[in-house]
Order: sequence, then structure tokens, then C-alpha cells
Amino acid sequence: MAKYYDIDDISIEEEHVLVTFQKAASGVGIDPGSESDFIETGSKVELPFWLAHELKLRQAVSVNVPSCFNQKTRSEIQADAAGVNLRSRCPFFYEFGCKIAPIVDDRKIGIVLLSAFKSRYKEILTKAHSVAFAARSKFWNILTNEEINLYEAAQSAMTSFKKWRMGGPRFQIASVLRKRKMY
Amino acid sequence: MAGQSNHEPSLFSAEELEFIAEDEIVDIVPNIKMGPLNLISGDFGPFTPQIVTQAPLWLAIALKKRGKCSICPPQWMSDEKLTQVLEAERQSQEISDQLPFHYVEISRLLFDHAPDNIHEIYKVRSLIEDIRNVRFHKVQTDLEAFNGRTIAVKIKNLSAMEVNIVRPFIGRALQAFLKHDSPELIPDPERVSDRTPHVVNNAPRVTGLTKVCKKCLSMESLYSTSVDEPYTVHTHSNFPKTLNR
Repeated sequence: MAKYYDIDDISIEEEHVLVTFQKAASGVGIDPGSESDFIETGSKVELPFWLAHELKLRQAVSVNVPSCFNQKTRSEIQADAAGVNLRSRCPFFYEFGCKIAPIVDDRKIGIVLLSAFKSRYKEILTKAHSVAFAARSKFWNILTNEEINLYEAAQSAMTSFKKWRMGGPRFQIASVLRKRKMY
Repeated sequence: MAGQSNHEPSLFSAEELEFIAEDEIVDIVPNIKMGPLNLISGDFGPFTPQIVTQAPLWLAIALKKRGKCSICPPQWMSDEKLTQVLEAERQSQEISDQLPFHYVEISRLLFDHAPDNIHEIYKVRSLIEDIRNVRFHKVQTDLEAFNGRTIAVKIKNLSAMEVNIVRPFIGRALQAFLKHDSPELIPDPERVSDRTPHVVNNAPRVTGLTKVCKKCLSMESLYSTSVDEPYTVHTHSNFPKTLNR
């Protein structure tokens, strides 16, 4: 509940996952492909995460591993984690991974997340403190939102330092004083 | 105060660090006669023309602006000294302890307010810039060591500005590592197989201080800080018996 108003958290939970129904359900129109409102046992439907999570808690569905954690992505991360475009796979790769890991059978997701972050961290560390503003957009496109937060924290610290070093107005007029001038 | 100028709670802005650095003491040569100043931080003066005296940097700058003194740049801000420091920084991975904690801020303040008192200012300025770059590169190399298992790195002699630049990034990165390395996400059996044995971790921990005994040149703990055994009596074990009368 702590993150109830967090807009990022809401959009993470909107992410679709593929579930297999373990029980038959009637009167639900969640499967747009089916002709009736009846869902048979074993049918596969894409549901948003928040719904899948609730149904999983009630043992009604089993959740499949989402496509952004498939074998292809994993081997790409193993090969060169820093170059993988995780953003195209899922903009909140890490957060979504943390949320999905407890409800799927695959125990390896946590390890994938950690090893991906480990190697990408180094890349972000060096680039965030040095790369110029113009060059960053290319690197930005492959970062997930969590990594962009990290990157921005470093960049803003670095730019504010550079701004200070280059100088600028040493004295700033307080807003109260500025108002006075108008009279 | 810190945090108000920026939404990041633990981050000082560069201006705030500059403010803190203004409390450092510098030597000044006044050209006015003035009685001593009794300030909360201490007493400064009396000021006599041509007599070197000490003052906090903010006071020195205030006097300098009015043309009442000239500031003697600190020892480390000389051309030769900085060349040495730069050389030392390039030689080793360790950050040298030759520069004060606020060297970035002090040098900037002096460049701005007392450029005529610094000998060979262009050279000094570029040397400080080079040193800062070399040092920052080292800090980055050191920080690359974080990987979830390494949760602390030891970087000696880091300056205020350098630590301030990396602080927001490192705070968030460590938070992320903590989250992704939590036992809920990574089951224990995997954790064990994943972990490579560290020789360093298995080495016995030395508590207290290890010193070299001057008498017999043996290296052993002269005293320990552990609670159950507060003092270890040092017996000169390596000492030649013939001399040990």
C-alpha cells in the first residue's frame, strides 16, 4: 500500500502476462478471442499483472514466465549485459521482475536481474559521470526506467558541479527583494 | 541548509560546500591597521600592515574585495607542489593525501577573488583541473567494485566535492543492489553455488593494532581491542636469548 499513489508502480502492474487457467470460469469477458463468456480449464489468456496476481493468490491460474524474461533475453544478458536493450523488452525491467518472481515457478529470475544489474551498473557509472549531453540519447534508449533514474542522479550532480565551477551569478536576488522593485 | 536547494535529501549543493570551505584558515597580509576581531569561531588579528596573520577565508575575501589585504595562497597551491601531486596521483591507484579536504572549493574561491596573488595562475588552474580529473577517474574505478556482495569500498583522502558528486548515484545504486540481492528473490542454494570462495574472507581477522616491536622486531598484536582479552602481554619471542638478560 505504500506505493498506492506511485504512478510508476501503477504502470508496472498494467504490464501484461500470459496465464493458464487452472479452473473454469464463467461469466467473465476477459478473453476477447472467445465467442462465449466461458473460459475453459487450461486456456491461455493475457491478463494485466494486477489481475493475474490476484487470481494466482486464489489458485485460479498459473502464471507463465513473461516474454521479457525468456531464454533469448537471458542468453543476451549473459553475453553482453551492457548492450542489451532492456527498455524495449520492459520499461520497468527490474521492478517488474521483482514483482513477477514470487508468482512464477521460475526461480532463476532473481539471479538474472542481479547479474544484469551488476554488469550494467559499471557501464552506467562510467558513462553517467562523463558522457556529454549530446551523446547520451543513444545510450539512454537501452536503459530501463530504474537505470535512467540512476543515470539522471549522476548527471545532475555532475552538471551542477560544472555549473558551479564555470561560475555564474554569485549573488542571487531574493524573490522578496525582486518584488519590491516593482513598486 | 543542505537539502533545501535540492530535492535530494542528503546532497549538498556545490554552493553549500563552498560556504563550508570558507571557514578554512588562510594567511593574509593586511595593509590596514585594525584591532583584533573576536568571532564565535575564534579571535583573529590584530591586523598590522605588512605583518602576516591568519584569518578565515571568508574574512580574507571580504578584506581583499575592499583592497585591504593580499591573500597568501596556501602551500599546496604552488606550481611545483601541484606538479608533484599530479605526478603522485598518476603513479599510484591510491588518492594522495597532499591536498586538503576542500581543495576544489578553496582553489576556486582564490581564483575568483585573488587572482593577482597567485603565482602563475594559468598553470595552477590547469594543474588543479588535471588532478581533479585523475582523482575522479580513480574514484570511478574504485566504485566499480560494487556488485551486490561487495557492499563497501574503502577510498582514502576523498575530498568534499568529489564525494558530493558521486553521492546521489552511489546511494541509489546501493539501494538497487540491496533490493536485487535480497534472499526472497534469490533462493539460498543458488546463492551458495554462485558464490566463489574468497581467500581474503577466510583469513583470520586481526583485532586491535598490529605493531612492530622495536626491541625484537617481531610483528604481533601488542594490544587488542576485544572485550574478553583487553591486553595481550607482548613477550619478546623473537628476541635473541643472549641479549635478553
